[in-house]
Amino acid sequence: MPATEGGPGAGNGPAAEGPAVGGTDPRNGSHLVADVLSQEMARDPSIVVFGEDVGRLGGVFGATRGLRRRFGDVRVFDTPVSETAFLGMAVGAAQSGLRPVVELMFVDFAGVGFDQILNQMAKNHFMSGGRVRLPLVLRAAVGCIGSAAQHSQVLSATFAHIPGLKVAYPGSHGDLQGLLVAAIRDDSPVVFLEHKLLYRHRVGQLPFGDARPAGATVEPRPFGRLRRIRDGSDVTIVAAGYLVQEALEAARRLTGEGISAGVVDLRTLVPLDRAGLVEEAGRAPGLLVIDDDYTHYGMTGEVIATVAEALGRAAPRMARHGVEGPIPAARPLEEAVVPSAGSIARAARILAGS
Amino acid sequence: MTPADPLTPSDLARLYETLVTYRAFEETIAAAVTSGEIHGEMHLGIGQEAIAAALGLHLRPGDAVVSTHRPHLHALALGVDPVPMLAEILERDGLNHGKGGHMHLFDPAARFMCTGIVGAGAPLALGYALQQALAATGNVTVAVTGDGAMNQGAVFESMNLAAVRRLPVVFLCEDNAYSISVPRSESTAGDLAERGAAFGIPGFACDGTDVTALDEVLRGAFARARQGQPCLVVARAYRFRGHYEGDLDLYRPAGEKEEAARSRDPVLILRDRAERSGVEPSALEQAAARAARTVGEWFRAAREYPAPRPDDARTGVYASD
Repeated sequence: MPATEGGPGAGNGPAAEGPAVGGTDPRNGSHLVADVLSQEMARDPSIVVFGEDVGRLGGVFGATRGLRRRFGDVRVFDTPVSETAFLGMAVGAAQSGLRPVVELMFVDFAGVGFDQILNQMAKNHFMSGGRVRLPLVLRAAVGCIGSAAQHSQVLSATFAHIPGLKVAYPGSHGDLQGLLVAAIRDDSPVVFLEHKLLYRHRVGQLPFGDARPAGATVEPRPFGRLRRIRDGSDVTIVAAGYLVQEALEAARRLTGEGISAGVVDLRTLVPLDRAGLVEEAGRAPGLLVIDDDYTHYGMTGEVIATVAEALGRAAPRMARHGVEGPIPAARPLEEAVVPSAGSIARAARILAGS
Repeated sequence: MTPADPLTPSDLARLYETLVTYRAFEETIAAAVTSGEIHGEMHLGIGQEAIAAALGLHLRPGDAVVSTHRPHLHALALGVDPVPMLAEILERDGLNHGKGGHMHLFDPAARFMCTGIVGAGAPLALGYALQQALAATGNVTVAVTGDGAMNQGAVFESMNLAAVRRLPVVFLCEDNAYSISVPRSESTAGDLAERGAAFGIPGFACDGTDVTALDEVLRGAFARARQGQPCLVVARAYRFRGHYEGDLDLYRPAGEKEEAARSRDPVLILRDRAERSGVEPSALEQAAARAARTVGEWFRAAREYPAPRPDDARTGVYASD
């Protein structure tokens, strides 16, 4: 993978993302995804895009808008509501030389076609002894927008648990672009988790912005390299996905209370930057790991175990804060379950002993 | 359907050699399970040889086959090199370096794969067919299923998607009468071949123990599929071995297998047909002797492959490994 912008240590602190907050960039996260797909499809004729409502509609979140018009309905097409069939079709197409980018409308629907993910997509390269390659991207919308327990999940650890899948979980608009380019060019299957709140926000509206300007070529960003996006001497908050943005807001609030909180964005869960994590864990006496996937048997435990195994008694005090159960529908209930800047700040305060 | 060119006596003699080669291949593997040379699960196609042999008459370079947990004969029919494949089956550093074993054989050069998950091959076949449709080479993909897989939603979804996208797929159902231990009558409603019609897919049933009947039906199905019309072929045969080697096989009615051995053995049926068409019995005996020699040479060559190295057990999970 080529060396890229946004490597370790890049962009410490909020970076310029187009115009300032409240500016005039009309693009939101879903436009960025569609533009990256368009850029890559123009570059590589073996890329095909399919899934539910990705053609005529341009995706229920708009992340494939304009592609069918530009590239035609042979390369961009709608499938029936048949996750098993179209996920399997993506695997077979990848094995026979195409580079499919397939959209799972909500990640929660993975259950419908899970055999094709668990037993085919993840395993066929290994089981073939390396004879077949699976250059495919499974894009899926994740996270909470008030749709209850069957349309709000993240499930990142579910995929990360399965050997053979790479898992990207971008936390910024720039990573939504750059990691997607890298995913498309990767020869292994990549589960690419796109948070609905990254779709919804316009460029320039997020605490941490790093999107490439409109019209600029998006270069790939490397998998397996976390980045520190805010320095802090009391607590380091480790996050992935949209919670990176909430963590930054939490850190800003904590500053006013005299707590210095840093923020680290994992960016990809597989590969996980374990060496980088251990290095970051040495920067502050507290390490808080947050996740909007389920806490039990999940990423938060994996991060803490990685640090504990490497540092032993020298490890910082560690805590985790994630989703403890099914996600309810009504706003007061949802807010009680899903981490946010407020709950992250509370957890950090406890860890910092104040 | 286009009228079939009838198989000539020399075609029948050649097919007979193919069938007895397949039979010897599977029987020798069975012996390797008994001896302990193979320690893993093993599913053999004894009784189903005519289907693969007839398939081989219609496959062209560039066609793909996605097979099942009972895959050996389809791989041979497509032209997968038997020696590295056999080395893989014998748990050596073979076709897939010992990572896949007998029911996960992958040969991308021959465009062959198989999967151990019942019904999962049909969606995968759509992907091969999608690539073929985009390349517009007139190639087809054969999605092999058993009768058991015909009750998986994956197969229904795939027939529907193949039909709406006009993908060049032949769905080939090997109906061997049992879904592990459950007879077809207790697992499967209606007529399997008629299931295609619900999706606008022509469905054809035929005697899967008779190469002539298979040849005629497959000829029409391949011709349609090459034009972008997916088809369903249901070939009825009889599984003479257990579901797997080691299956106690106590679930069949008394006398059924013995009767099938007299009336439904594709090797006997083809021998009878060849002799009645004028092929000399001695020619068939010579063909059988050649087949035995060929298979013996394949096994000798496969056993020359080294065992896979334990150091490699965890490599190759990702393309960059």
